[in-house]
Amino acid sequence: MKILKPAVAGTLESSDCMVTVEPGCGELELDLDSTVIRQYGKQIRRVISETLTRLEVTDARVTVVDKGALDCTIKARVECAVYRSNDIRDALPWGGAIQ
Amino acid sequence: MNEFYIAQVLPGDLAGMEAVDRLLEHEGLRRDEHLDYTCAMYDAEGRAVATGSCCRNTLRCFAVSAGHRGEGLLNRILTHLIGYQAERGNYHLFLYTKPDAAAFFGDLGFHEIARVPGSLVFMENRRSGFSGYLRQLAQTRRDGVSAAVVMNANPFTLGHQYLAEQAAAHCDALHLFTVSEDLSEFSFAERRNMVRLGTAHIPNVILHDCGPYIISAATFPGYFLKEEAQIVEAQARLDIEVFKRIAQALNITERWVGEEPASVTTGIYNRVMAEALPEAGIRCIVLPRKEANGIPISAGAVRECLRRGDTQALKALVPETTFNCLTNPAAQ
Repeated sequence: MKILKPAVAGTLESSDCMVTVEPGCGELELDLDSTVIRQYGKQIRRVISETLTRLEVTDARVTVVDKGALDCTIKARVECAVYRSNDIRDALPWGGAIQ
Repeated sequence: MNEFYIAQVLPGDLAGMEAVDRLLEHEGLRRDEHLDYTCAMYDAEGRAVATGSCCRNTLRCFAVSAGHRGEGLLNRILTHLIGYQAERGNYHLFLYTKPDAAAFFGDLGFHEIARVPGSLVFMENRRSGFSGYLRQLAQTRRDGVSAAVVMNANPFTLGHQYLAEQAAAHCDALHLFTVSEDLSEFSFAERRNMVRLGTAHIPNVILHDCGPYIISAATFPGYFLKEEAQIVEAQARLDIEVFKRIAQALNITERWVGEEPASVTTGIYNRVMAEALPEAGIRCIVLPRKEANGIPISAGAVRECLRRGDTQALKALVPETTFNCLTNPAAQ
C-alpha cells in the first residue's frame, strides 16, 4: 500500500502507542520513542516492520511513540494509521493486506 | 480513568476559560492571547482538572491540577490536541514548555530544538526535524568569514539589497535567510523570488529558507501578531537561541541587521540580538537604513506606495527586479 497522506492512530496513554505515518522519500524510515526501548526496542521495531511489510508499505516515514503497548496493540495501531492514510474506514481488513 | 472527559472550551465560554486560567495560574502561566483552540479535561463533578491549547502548529498552555498529578492526564490532553491538529492537517508540531517539564514531553515523542535557560524549552515532534535542517544547511558551509542576514522581504526593497551588498562585501560567504511563514502580504514564493532576483548580482550569497525554525509563527509569533513587549522579548530570545545553533552549523560569526527605527517588534528583536549574540561569539552589526530622498527605505513604505498606486515613488524604493515583480506579477 502507498501512504497517500499523513495519518495518526493511537494515544499517548499508558499501555498504548501513537503511530504517525507520512509519505516517505523512497524508503521506510522509522522513528521510535519508547518508555521500554532498552528492554523491548528490538521487538517493537520488528513488530512495526513486519506489519508494514505485510501491508506492503515500502515508502513511508513512520513515527511511533510507545508507552509500553503490547505487540497486538502496536500492530493494530500501525494498521489503523496505514488504512487511514488510504481513507479506508469501512470493512477494515484487519490483519490482512489490501491490494 | 473513565470519569474524566475532554472537551473544547469555546472562546465565548467565559466560565470555562476562567477555570482554564485558574489551572494555568497554578503553574505560573498565563493564557496566551492568540490561541485558536483550547481544551480542558473535566472530572465527574464537571471541575476542570487539566488543560492544553493550540496556536497554529504549536501546542502550549498546559496545566494539570495539583491533586491529579501522575495520573497521566496530560498524556490524554496531548493525545487530544495531536488528534485535533491532525484533523486540520498539522503533523509537524511544536511546543513550548518550562524547562522542568521538558523531560516529560521528551517521553511523549517531543525533541528539544533550543532552550532559553531558566525560562522555556522549544520542542518538536520530529527527531530529525531541526537536526535534519542543520545537516542540510551544513552542506553549504564555506571557509573564511561567514555572515548571515535574515529578512522577510515583504517586499524586497533597495534597503534589503543594500544590506545584502554591504554584508557580502565584508565577508567571504553571506548566508541569506528568507522568512518562510506565509503570514505576510506577499507569499513566501513571491518574496523568495524577489530576494533571488535582487541578489543575483552578488556572487558570494547563499540563499536559504528559514523553515519553521527562525522567525516562524512557531518560534516568534510576535513577529506576525501584535504582542506585548515583554512577550516579544521572550520570543526573540528563543529565536536567537535557535539562530545560534544555525550559526554553529554554518560557522557564522557575523549577523547583519538593518537599523529599525519604525517597527517596535523588530526594534526589540535587534536589541535582544545585540545582547545575546556576542555571548556566542557572533558579532551583531547594525547597518543604518539606506535612505531615499531623506526618508529611510522600508518595506512598509513600499506597501503604502502600492496601496496608493504611486509607481513613481515606488521606483525610488525598490530595485528594478522587485519593481518588475510588483508591477507585472503575471510575468513572474
